[in-house]
Amino acid sequence: MSPELIAALRDETPSAPENLRDRVALIAATPAAPSRTFTFRRALLWAVPATALGALTLAVVVGVITSSTPPSAPTAQPANEQPAAQNRGRPRAALNRVRPRAALNRVRPRAAQNGLRQFPPPLPAQEYRAIITAAPNGGPAPSRRRAQQVQASLRLLVDDPDDLSAATQRALRTTRRLGGYLVAVDYGTPEATEGSANVRVRVPVSRVQAAIVDFSNLGRILGQQTRITDLQQRLDALTRQLRRAKGDKVRTAILRRERIALNRRAAYATVDLALTTHEPEQKVVPPSRLERAVDDATGVLTAELAIAAYILIVASPFLVLLAAAFAGSRAYRRYADQRLLERT
Amino acid sequence: MGHAFAPNPCQLDVTRSPSVAYTECVSELANVHRSFASAAEDHLDDVYRYLLYVTANPAIAEDLTSETFERAFKRWDRFDVKRGSAQTWLCQLARGAALDHFRAERRRTRREQRVAGPDRAAEVELPEEYGPVLRQALRTLTGAEREVIALRVVLELDTKMAARVLGISPTACTTRLNRALEKLEQKVRPRLVA
Repeated sequence: MSPELIAALRDETPSAPENLRDRVALIAATPAAPSRTFTFRRALLWAVPATALGALTLAVVVGVITSSTPPSAPTAQPANEQPAAQNRGRPRAALNRVRPRAALNRVRPRAAQNGLRQFPPPLPAQEYRAIITAAPNGGPAPSRRRAQQVQASLRLLVDDPDDLSAATQRALRTTRRLGGYLVAVDYGTPEATEGSANVRVRVPVSRVQAAIVDFSNLGRILGQQTRITDLQQRLDALTRQLRRAKGDKVRTAILRRERIALNRRAAYATVDLALTTHEPEQKVVPPSRLERAVDDATGVLTAELAIAAYILIVASPFLVLLAAAFAGSRAYRRYADQRLLERT
Repeated sequence: MGHAFAPNPCQLDVTRSPSVAYTECVSELANVHRSFASAAEDHLDDVYRYLLYVTANPAIAEDLTSETFERAFKRWDRFDVKRGSAQTWLCQLARGAALDHFRAERRRTRREQRVAGPDRAAEVELPEEYGPVLRQALRTLTGAEREVIALRVVLELDTKMAARVLGISPTACTTRLNRALEKLEQKVRPRLVA
């Protein structure tokens, strides 16, 4: 490429004529037209944040509205089934302290809920009060003057499988010491750190209080239940029937057998002891209104995002086609322009 | 070449008094107006020369130059100095105007040919300022070849800017320029020697 040619091209190219200068100067002197207020780019710049803001506002509004409806009340826990989180760090003696009135109030509904046999006619109030005052640690105590069937159950938390083994053995020793006997035991440690033992023992009714107090020292009390069924009325009735059946040997024999069985039931109390290393689940605290609002708003936002993603997924093939068509048309236009200039 | 354009005059400083703000707004508006006027003054020759090369017709080049500046005036608020100089932007507008002109001309020619039979294409009428040798040589080039010479040689745009105006890659721009100059030199050299 010769420098002379370059110089000639630059030097010989004419400048704009004067009349063109005047025309352009006239254009420049014209009052400026109002600039376009709406452009695609500007609209896009506004549309994206406006859509995001709208979605957020909708989520907040829905969250606030739905949070005003209170959630269903959580199931009340028994009074003496304290959550592990609350019990943690307290001295064992304090944890084992059972509130007698709460335990007493719980006895009947729990029995009814479990489908167990309903209590016979309730004891007079003064007798219950006497039982409660007599048993500050071991739950309601049986009456010494009446024949009663006593059933107690204890759920205890122990630290580890070693502790579980020691507690089980101690429970058996205590049972024997109190003159009772073992009915069944189910001991297992399926994992190295977890295990449980279910022990059913029978102890004399007169010592059931002591048994419960001893057992409650084996671990942290998770739950305790004592059920006392009065048998005295039935015994009295049998006694009356026996008096009336004097001379009828067969009927007398049947009634005596039944009375003996009732006396046996009244002589020994059944204690179910459940020992476990598994921490009970913490009580579910109902979320506050703010938390519910945030949860609901987050849910709405998630749903909106899911819808947006769904639309994007469904529309993406069409968008790709559209983009390809746009790119193709641009390329074709460029090619056509080039052809046009080459022919000129 | 490039201009540092003032911010949008409608964005007023509300902390100032209304009269001061109004005066400043008017002043800013005048600055924007003046900046277009100065850009037009600075680059009028560039646009005209570019269009003269592309169209090879002084009359059409004048019309298209005028049209280009009309378009530029209307779209001046869309001009962004960060995306390129005013010269590049004006050349892009000029190219669009020229292509629109060529398309319209082709449609018109086709219509006329359908009605009145084939007619010869528009004559290349380069102005007298070109020497006879160069004018004759430029006549043999296509519009695309003259265009790249105008941008790279006459207006002295760098490869990147010229490629942007042409809508092609810088490599393609360089190739096209080399071919055009080679062709032009082949036409010019024998005549100069003679």
